[in-house]
Amino acid sequence: MRRFSLLTLLKEATNAHQGWGRQWRAPEPKVGYDAVIVGGGGHGLATAYYLAKEHGMRNIAVLEKGWIGGGNTGRNTTIIRSNYLYDESAAIYEHALKLWEGLSQELNYNVMYSARGVMMLAHNVHDVQSFKRHVYANRLNGVDNEWLTPEEAKEFCPPLNISKRLRYPVMGAALQRRGGTARHDAVAWGYARGADAMGVDIIQNCEVTGIRRGLSGAVEGVETTRGFIRTPRIGVVAAGHTSVIMEKAGVRMPLESFPLQALVSEPVKPVFPCVVMSNAVHAYISQSDKGELVIGAGTDQYVSYSQQGGIHIATHTLDAICELFPQFTRMRMLRNWGGIVDVTPDRSPIIGKTPVQGLFVNCGWGTGGFKATPGSGHVFAHTIAKGEPHPIAAPFTMDRFRTGRLIDEAAAAAVAH
Amino acid sequence: MLKTSHAAHRDLSLPIEQPVTRPDTKAQVVIRPLPAQARFSLRLNEADLEGAQTAAGVTLDIPINTRSGSAERSSIRLGPNEWLLTGPYDDAEVIASQIDAALSGRFYTLVDVSHRNVGITVSGRRAAEVLNSGCPLDLAEAAFPTGMATRTLMGKAEIVLMRLDDTPTYQVECWRSFSTYVRDYLIEAAREFEPSIA
Amino acid sequence: MLLVTCPYCGPRPEIEFRCGGEAHIARPAEPSKLSDKEWAEFLFVRTNAKGVFAERWNHAHGCQRWFNALRDTASDRFIQTYKVGEKRPDRTPGQERL
Repeated sequence: MRRFSLLTLLKEATNAHQGWGRQWRAPEPKVGYDAVIVGGGGHGLATAYYLAKEHGMRNIAVLEKGWIGGGNTGRNTTIIRSNYLYDESAAIYEHALKLWEGLSQELNYNVMYSARGVMMLAHNVHDVQSFKRHVYANRLNGVDNEWLTPEEAKEFCPPLNISKRLRYPVMGAALQRRGGTARHDAVAWGYARGADAMGVDIIQNCEVTGIRRGLSGAVEGVETTRGFIRTPRIGVVAAGHTSVIMEKAGVRMPLESFPLQALVSEPVKPVFPCVVMSNAVHAYISQSDKGELVIGAGTDQYVSYSQQGGIHIATHTLDAICELFPQFTRMRMLRNWGGIVDVTPDRSPIIGKTPVQGLFVNCGWGTGGFKATPGSGHVFAHTIAKGEPHPIAAPFTMDRFRTGRLIDEAAAAAVAH
Repeated sequence: MLKTSHAAHRDLSLPIEQPVTRPDTKAQVVIRPLPAQARFSLRLNEADLEGAQTAAGVTLDIPINTRSGSAERSSIRLGPNEWLLTGPYDDAEVIASQIDAALSGRFYTLVDVSHRNVGITVSGRRAAEVLNSGCPLDLAEAAFPTGMATRTLMGKAEIVLMRLDDTPTYQVECWRSFSTYVRDYLIEAAREFEPSIA
Repeated sequence: MLLVTCPYCGPRPEIEFRCGGEAHIARPAEPSKLSDKEWAEFLFVRTNAKGVFAERWNHAHGCQRWFNALRDTASDRFIQTYKVGEKRPDRTPGQERL
């Protein structure tokens, strides 16, 4: 791997940038691997990277049916935060956030992590009480989160309308200053480059069509559009398509896949300094480094794999944004797209073993998987390598739906789902 | 503004204001609140309709999403087992006892919702366009002719929409607490055609 | 926005409806006789099919009736809607009623 530095940049500048070359190989699949990761999004590539780096498993492959980072990794609104209510959630998202903070250096690839602050608006008394509870719970868990008055919120984010005459007036806000955004593609590319350099085969345009199990029931390999690949360990990181892949191994999942939409405006000069989320009126907004306003809308109400959604979902969000930020009413929206998010009944992910020996799954991140990418990959790699869950991932078993030990972030009310 | 007091009593007629648009024949759209009406929500199993096709002077056995009767008395079939019955405000008790008589021996519920709803008419050449600013239904002549009536949406509020005549005149029935929202929504939309509407 | 054909009202815009998730999941007659695993299966596990999927819909801002629908989740195309109590029609994609 050619390391990126100021020196290489200067060298390439004198060479009309002709010498950068490809950052990862396009290998043919081998007959077999020690482990196969199904899904080449951020989570899958991060899993492969940490398997190779921390657990010495270098004879592994990542299989991606399309192109890497082309699913939800390339479709989300890139928000990073860790201010979740429950201890288990705070632990895993904070684990991820700590990895985000050093990720560009770790990967020698600029993932453009920007700790510009994530502000969650409270619009009613319930929001205020709930957010304050979050602030206190987060502090007990060592996660930064603070309460702002409407005036302080306005100071932090000047375009915000804090008029008391709004339909949903701003009554305060919870601010996580370490939260922010990162460049979504760069995360996939950085992990792919790092993993490839350690010998991981990243195989694109290779769809898994079956999972072969032996007489004992343990996995023997995967059938793909590019032939059978033998492996004793399979890590499924397929987001919206997890149910489809797991069904091939005969495992039924507590998941439903919904379309989640996002959209961007025309690019403008820097006007929006942070990330603002409002769960009550359902709006997320930030401004990318390119200048586009990046807006997250809601999920549709029905199961779908179509990677699109109803226009009324997007317009509902725009209604809310125009009320909170009146100056955006005259902006034009450029692109609108959807991704397929896999949602669990308690809105917390599933990371760990399955009833099938050698089959591991990392799924159920719902509408908030991007922020967890490094942490998710890190703990899932441990789970695959050791055959036992990482301590941080241990509460997120599939078995919790049988035992009743749910991590009910859906009921925690301040996460948007 | 419409009055939306919850203190309205059966023996009080609801105060009605002047039409919000001039009743000008050249007007492209006229929006006006309706006077108080007696309204009932009737639930009756489809199977029990046999032998009770009419009650209280209106026909119950009509296709779903249609209206029958006159301005005096009407029945609107909102679903297989649900009707909205309307009549003059002072006839409420008469209607109730007539329904009781017609449906006796059957299992049904009849609830007086006179004060729950507010009626607003929207009429004129542009009426359908004004309604379509917040209502997603196809209101073209072929899809929603006179006599059609259904529960639907106006913006974020649930309404019952019916087409009364070929002017066309539409009646919007909404819940009292949504009425100012619905009225303001309609007026905002009507301004495109009638800038004088205040 | 989808056009949903209510068996009672005909084709109507999606915003008048609420989707109630997977159809034909019968509540166990005697929950206390189920193992935890079976109860979890009933409560939480869903088919989440890619392709033809039977689901419940409620015409919330219309006739307010519940009904079932067969829909292709890969294309969002409705194949057929049918009343509660009727058997799931035997249909595969490609037989869509246009």
